[in-house]
Amino acid sequence: MKTNFLYKVTFVLFSVFVLLPILYTLFSVFLEESFLDNLRLINSSTFLLLFRSIAISSLIAFLSTGLGVLLAFLLYKTKLSFRKGFRLLLLIPLFVSPYILAVAWKDVLYLFFENHTFIASYKGLVLILTSIFTPLSILIIGSALSNINSQIEESALLIVSPRTVMFRIILPLIKPALISSFVLVFIFSISEFTVPSYLGVKVFTTEIFTQFSAFYNHALAVIQSALLILISIFLLFSEGKYLSEAAFLSIGTKGNQQKFHELGRFKIVALIFLLAYLFSSVLMPYFMLVFQGMNDLGKAFDLLKPTIFNSVFLALGSSVLIVLVGFIVAYFSVKASKLKKIFDWILLIVFAIPSIILGISFIKFYNQSALSFIYTSYAIIVIAYIGKFTFIASKLISNAIRQVPKSLNEQAILIGISPLKRIRKILIPIIAPSLFVAFVISFIFSFSELSLTMMLYPPGTEIMPIKVFTIMANAPQSLVSAMSLIVFSITLLLIVIFHLVYQKIKNTNV
Amino acid sequence: MSKIQFRNISHSYAAESVLKALDLDIEAGKLTCLLGGSGSGKTTILRLIAGLEIAQEGSISIADKTVLENEKNLVASPDRGIAFVFQDLALWPHFTVFQNLAFGLREQKQNNFEVEIKDILSRFSIEDLSEKYPHQLSGGQQQLVAIARALVLKPKILLMDEPLANLDVKLKRKMLDYIKKIKNDFNLSLIYVTHDHKEAFGIADNIVILNEGKVEAQGSVEEIKQSENTFVKYFLEY
Repeated sequence: MKTNFLYKVTFVLFSVFVLLPILYTLFSVFLEESFLDNLRLINSSTFLLLFRSIAISSLIAFLSTGLGVLLAFLLYKTKLSFRKGFRLLLLIPLFVSPYILAVAWKDVLYLFFENHTFIASYKGLVLILTSIFTPLSILIIGSALSNINSQIEESALLIVSPRTVMFRIILPLIKPALISSFVLVFIFSISEFTVPSYLGVKVFTTEIFTQFSAFYNHALAVIQSALLILISIFLLFSEGKYLSEAAFLSIGTKGNQQKFHELGRFKIVALIFLLAYLFSSVLMPYFMLVFQGMNDLGKAFDLLKPTIFNSVFLALGSSVLIVLVGFIVAYFSVKASKLKKIFDWILLIVFAIPSIILGISFIKFYNQSALSFIYTSYAIIVIAYIGKFTFIASKLISNAIRQVPKSLNEQAILIGISPLKRIRKILIPIIAPSLFVAFVISFIFSFSELSLTMMLYPPGTEIMPIKVFTIMANAPQSLVSAMSLIVFSITLLLIVIFHLVYQKIKNTNV
Repeated sequence: MSKIQFRNISHSYAAESVLKALDLDIEAGKLTCLLGGSGSGKTTILRLIAGLEIAQEGSISIADKTVLENEKNLVASPDRGIAFVFQDLALWPHFTVFQNLAFGLREQKQNNFEVEIKDILSRFSIEDLSEKYPHQLSGGQQQLVAIARALVLKPKILLMDEPLANLDVKLKRKMLDYIKKIKNDFNLSLIYVTHDHKEAFGIADNIVILNEGKVEAQGSVEEIKQSENTFVKYFLEY
């Protein structure tokens, strides 16, 4: 069958271009004669740094998940005014490059406390990364809360207090989502490189980068990376099924009657809390960039102008390919045997591998004369983006496919419509809104990605995040703020445009 | 006219056996109701006739032609002369009523399909719905469109899987009259799945009562009513 062939080709290509570089890098280091010597370099200070990074990431994951429960409850289980607007606005930090928010937060704290010591510390790192990753927790936990059938709660409310329902019914039911939120935020935090690097805070990823780029000790960097990969994979398996299915990555769910809770006299308090959170996590950083960067806006724009087209074009090309690969994987994984689910797992694992490690693997694998045509072109970045972001796209698409009744396809089978035509004429038009969202998310993630891009961008090319990040080290803070403001604004503008297009697609898609 | 024969058919989903060495004869040109409780194998029988499932054992023939044998589909679904009205009706939501009907006809490269569509829509008195989308139709109108879409391809056998399950009593009665009329007007073999014996008694020429993947009784409405089979008596009582 042609479609099955397509899946196999995609699997082989993904394995060769994305998986092989990772495996090659890991195994080449382990097979080196100097492996044991390098292993001895992993000393107590390495482990101390690793444990410190684990502790920081655990704290961020704990805080994000805790805040996520509270915010998701208010946004998904109550009928608070403007909750849909809050839901959309609170997600913004998830789509803006972390280093941009780090610049903004630095501005905020500098303005109020007139020094950088707080922000350039572990406490500052926890504060910034918690504000960046809490939206992810809201998304995961909110989705799980929306999927609790009202009758389950109502039948409990008839016999016990709302408080007991919360602790004995709701929280146990959303336990997989809570664990997934913790695991994902932990993995993202421990993998984050750009924020600690910008703040000058030493963590495990910055140590790997230093070994790789400053000391050229590639073998040690890879061994350290392996430790991080092992931790990530170990954690992924803790809630593997929930995470690999990623039900929280879905657009519109099947009609499920939800129970909304009355807040009574706490309604005003809840609204004030939401407004305060929105102000501190989104509005204040944004306006602070405006405030600090206003005077250098023209200069910043001149510097960024040559990079805008490259960045948009790169993100556009990558996101089209990501959606294509994501669709092929999703289509087959929905009706998959256990064997085919392996591809799902590979995507999840590659997604969870820290960007900096993916970057190191790609450099080591593609930096060979036979592969220099990839290494010296944008192709290496596109392949890396496909590796990194296809998991999200494929989950958004597969969750949409799962919602299409099987009978729609079977009705077409009975009248002799070919498999490809069934995909083209029946499936794709029905899941068009989800395909579009997958495209948008892939685009925005590709557009604002920094860690991978920084390691892989071909010499002589200009890409927006790279330009900002390289200038950060030497330029005055006001110019850095102005450049960050432009990137932030472009991202916001894209989100608004895409949101309007999405509404149009959704309305025409009956 | 298409007689359908099941011989020694066994079928299971994962570890769950649904049909167990089933022998079944369905007469041509009749309205046969498959009656049984949940998990009795009614829907599986329809899906096997349509070729949407492949039985692990046994053979199926339609109009004396073997369509399935030894786990192999010998005749593909579109070549069996079958139309299916699913329980959820399976109207393609992004197509108008006209497009829903035209999709199959276009695939068969039929000329004048517009005329055929107009004709069938007018027979069901729903020609004014032609440009509407499924979500703009009432439940009853959706049923009619689903049936019209099935009939426009001129099948020899029409399979209906509890298509009236979501309708109110009044509309259900009206639709049952329609279905009886369709069988005669279009000269079809019609196999109708239901769990409601009153619904079956109202329209069937023949009834097959299924229990746990086996035929408990088969015959005309009167024969079934007078059956001494313990299960049949119990089933009809409730």
